[in-house]
Amino acid sequence: MSLYPAFARPRDLGQAAEIMGSLSTGAMIIAGGQEVMPSVNYGALMPEVYIDVGQITALKGISEENGAIQIGSFTVHRDVQQSDVIQNNLPLLSYAAAQIGGGMQVHNRGTIGGNIVSMHPLYDILPSLLALGADVDILKDGEEQRMALADLMKDASHGLGSESLLVRVLLKPMTPDAGWAYEKLKITAGGYGSANAAAIVTLDSDKITSLRIIVGAVSALPVDISDALSDYRGQAWSEHLAEEIEAKASAAIKEPLSDHQGDGDWRRAMAGVMARRAIEAAVKRAG
Amino acid sequence: MEDMLEDTVLVNLRINGRLHELEIPAHKSLLDLLREDLNLTGTHMGCMTGHCGACTVSIDGRVAKSCITLAATLGRAKITTIEGLTQDDGTLSALQQAFWDNAGFQCGYCAPGMLLCTVELLETNPDPSDADIDTALAGNLCRCTGYQSIRRAVKAAITTTKEGAPQAAE
Repeated sequence: MSLYPAFARPRDLGQAAEIMGSLSTGAMIIAGGQEVMPSVNYGALMPEVYIDVGQITALKGISEENGAIQIGSFTVHRDVQQSDVIQNNLPLLSYAAAQIGGGMQVHNRGTIGGNIVSMHPLYDILPSLLALGADVDILKDGEEQRMALADLMKDASHGLGSESLLVRVLLKPMTPDAGWAYEKLKITAGGYGSANAAAIVTLDSDKITSLRIIVGAVSALPVDISDALSDYRGQAWSEHLAEEIEAKASAAIKEPLSDHQGDGDWRRAMAGVMARRAIEAAVKRAG
Repeated sequence: MEDMLEDTVLVNLRINGRLHELEIPAHKSLLDLLREDLNLTGTHMGCMTGHCGACTVSIDGRVAKSCITLAATLGRAKITTIEGLTQDDGTLSALQQAFWDNAGFQCGYCAPGMLLCTVELLETNPDPSDADIDTALAGNLCRCTGYQSIRRAVKAAITTTKEGAPQAAE
């Protein structure tokens, strides 16, 4: 192996599978580079081979067919923000993509695939994708496999980034009456939040018919607190409910992060605050 | 399989209007390519992590941080650096002049990034609000100005554009 990394440019998914299958560890898939390159520049990552997936057309574009929306993993945040398909059918995702830090430059080059694969606790897309119940297609061991994003995140052996490739994200449109919100608490300079929450709610007059809340940036991975809120289905919305949701969201954070974005106890408290703000804003939009 | 691996990569980049056919090592960032190989030192190295925006250039009409852009991935991209905003005789663009007139920089280290982001902002949104300006420049850190004079400079550039760009000074 040379001292410097080699470079591979697969033209399609078949070639990508062939390259990934033939290399041992040390290969690194690169798309926009917004996750990989900072790590390389700081010496935290030393790829032996870059696999540039930028020429694979199957990874690109946003489409809608028979009520199913597909977002190629090589779709940059700017295109997710500005796509008519996403704005009309998935306003939560369009909004969350605009909250990504790093400025216009990162929005122009960072991809939805890279954002997911990095599984960084402070990034902005995962809570919304989980709230929306996204599925993903993965190219692994030469075959495409479909699975729920929530399941993928629990699977430590997914191999994404070197041995397997995220091909696309699959989503169902939000119902037009669904209320939604993504709240991000940002107290430090830079783009990262100290806590965030994505919420989707539907109401029948003032009664809750469905409710999903995901809390992010407070633990190693976003936490889905929707199950803990299932008793609220059928109940009328009230300010009191918002306070209960705040308490339940905080209680759901078992192992809070404690870093320069804030210490653990405070992060746990802010998880609750973000959940409450998100559900309040989502209820206002519902109907 | 081995024949799919390259040690160097051929790219055809149009940089500030000039075509460069370059054989580059796979690990080279666009920042290093511009500064070390092409002597375009107006693109500044800052944090190397994508936070500060001093290394901003425009790739196919969209701003990017060149320190976290792997040059080998760029293929046939069109790139504009800060040198590309100025006329060949050194005359500043109307936007650069507005930054000059309004003290939109002090040490100047962040200025290339601020300027290239403003170019893209005004192309997509000719009449931005203060919030639009702040969002467009959110990926650029300035340690001198406190940002107020930068915002003032952007607004002055908008006014200049509306009234017609001034002729280059005699």
